[in-house]
Amino acid sequence: MKGAQLLVKALEQEGVGVVFGYPGGAIMPVYDALLDSPIRHVLARHEQGAVLAADGFARVTGRPGVCMATSGPGATNLVTGIANAFMDSVPLVAITGQVPTPVMGTDAFQEVDIFGITMPIVKHSFLIRRAEDIPRIIGEAFHIATEGRPGPVLVDLPKDVANTMTSIPPIFEMKSSDPGRPDPEQLALACRLLGEAERPVLYAGGGVGMARAVDAFREFAEASCIPVVTTLKGIGAVPTRHKDYLGMLGMHGNLAANKAVQASDLLICVGARFDDRATGRLDGFAPGAKVIHMDADPSEISKLRFADAGLLGDLRVSLSSLPTDLSIEPWRAWCAERKAEHAWRYDAPGEGVFVPDMLRRITEADPEVTIACDVGQHQMWVAQHCHFQRPEQHLTSAGLGTMGFGIPAGIGALMAKPDGRVLTVTGDGSIMMNLQELQTIRRYDLPLKMLLVDNASLGMVRQWQELFHEERYSEVDLSDNPDFVEVARSFGIKAFRVTRRDRVDAAIERLLAAEGAILAHVCIDPKTNVWPLVPPGETNDVMLEGMSA
Amino acid sequence: MNHTMTLTIQRVEGALIRALGLIERRGFAVTSIDASADEAAQQMELTIEVCSPGRSVDVLARQIEKLFDVRSVAHVRTSEPAVQLEESMAC
Repeated sequence: MKGAQLLVKALEQEGVGVVFGYPGGAIMPVYDALLDSPIRHVLARHEQGAVLAADGFARVTGRPGVCMATSGPGATNLVTGIANAFMDSVPLVAITGQVPTPVMGTDAFQEVDIFGITMPIVKHSFLIRRAEDIPRIIGEAFHIATEGRPGPVLVDLPKDVANTMTSIPPIFEMKSSDPGRPDPEQLALACRLLGEAERPVLYAGGGVGMARAVDAFREFAEASCIPVVTTLKGIGAVPTRHKDYLGMLGMHGNLAANKAVQASDLLICVGARFDDRATGRLDGFAPGAKVIHMDADPSEISKLRFADAGLLGDLRVSLSSLPTDLSIEPWRAWCAERKAEHAWRYDAPGEGVFVPDMLRRITEADPEVTIACDVGQHQMWVAQHCHFQRPEQHLTSAGLGTMGFGIPAGIGALMAKPDGRVLTVTGDGSIMMNLQELQTIRRYDLPLKMLLVDNASLGMVRQWQELFHEERYSEVDLSDNPDFVEVARSFGIKAFRVTRRDRVDAAIERLLAAEGAILAHVCIDPKTNVWPLVPPGETNDVMLEGMSA
Repeated sequence: MNHTMTLTIQRVEGALIRALGLIERRGFAVTSIDASADEAAQQMELTIEVCSPGRSVDVLARQIEKLFDVRSVAHVRTSEPAVQLEESMAC
């Protein structure tokens, strides 16, 4: 058996059913072996589309997404997607072809040191030198991608190794990983802090979903009645309509969420990492609060904010070990007042489409829809206004902020759950970053719904130039965009345009009821801004407010 | 604030550069390094002196410890008192 065949067998052994990729010279032996495998290969039209689709697949299933590309430009085109998975702790196995080992290091055709290039953005990486190591390395790659805090693993396979004939070695046995239990002393400290707290807040991050700790989190939140805020990735830790949910915190968070955190005396951080978009200026973040920090990653505890109690290991164990009989009724009432005071308003003036309201109503019409978001103003509107029941319904490029994520992630989500309903919300800037993946949708007849919010500009950058650069607009005008309805149709995808508020109801119905892929092109005022906003460098006490339609 | 750390790493491709790259990427400067190989154990022992930008060397040690090629990390000594974490990360 050849090394390439061994690789494909090892993937089968890991239960891989779908891989996303793009063939090329150095990885041809693997593509040849795929022809004889039950693994389904999904051909993207750019390697970045493949890796981001694998990322979306992983976010929905919790299992590693797998992508492959050839050496050189194929491999470098994966880099953004690998970084995206690294920043959001998404399990991913990226397999790259490499030039044959005798010419490695000679600047051979399509040679790049992808092992070196990706070192800062992988959880681990392998360069396979011997065919007989392939099963062990693939086994380790999948184990590393998923254990503890998940992340991407790169496997670089030189072409001569892929072509080497070898006798079949035994398949590597997977290690089972135990996420561990919190230190008893730290746990006792956490229990004491909780017992003493008068104004506690639960601050949930993406780790709640990644650790499959949603049930344990909800049980604790329900029993303790502690108000909940989430990061961008933590949205859905409790249903967004939950009575004690105050919303997302941070730069574009809800005022009630930020006010509660700033006034709290105990912050219970569950699978979050005190990211600067969440905290604002760090030295002014929750200034009077002690911190209990629960995480699977030991290097996150006290990385940015000192943890008075650090609970390392399985979030489910930590959450179920904390007391819930608290006396915090006055605090709950104060938070409920803030929530009512700062409830989102949808009475924007004008006749144009008010996207926050449209997004809210889409998720009211279909509460089970999975939303794959692109990056920019529309991403923040989704986070603020859409309703989610679970974290895996909201796929968003949080840490890296990768424009072009939305369509490939939607493709990955549909490959993971072919019967699921998936909506990509994108912008006129973002959609052009991976527009070629419309053909992947067409090729596999994927029923992806797309809502394209078009403000004929790079909206978020434009907003910052308006607010923080004295309205000096630099390279944000996209008014020369193509006709997106015609573009979609040219890919064989149904499309229609919405420009008026009184057409929104009909548009939502058409979008959700359509069979197959469809794109709704929603044109809005280029001067629309996202509110509220904590200016960069300020604390979360400083939130600019406004409203525009 | 200089810190001396000892690392034991596996002698596998990329292990050395992975550990050193992480240290620099996290904002610490490597001011001296001493390495010795243990052929039998396929390990390498590194004694590294780093200059801290004011960040926690304990967090750095935990970040290094997470690397799969790293067997052990020990923080041996600090030659000057560590300073408080200073943050200005707005962008």
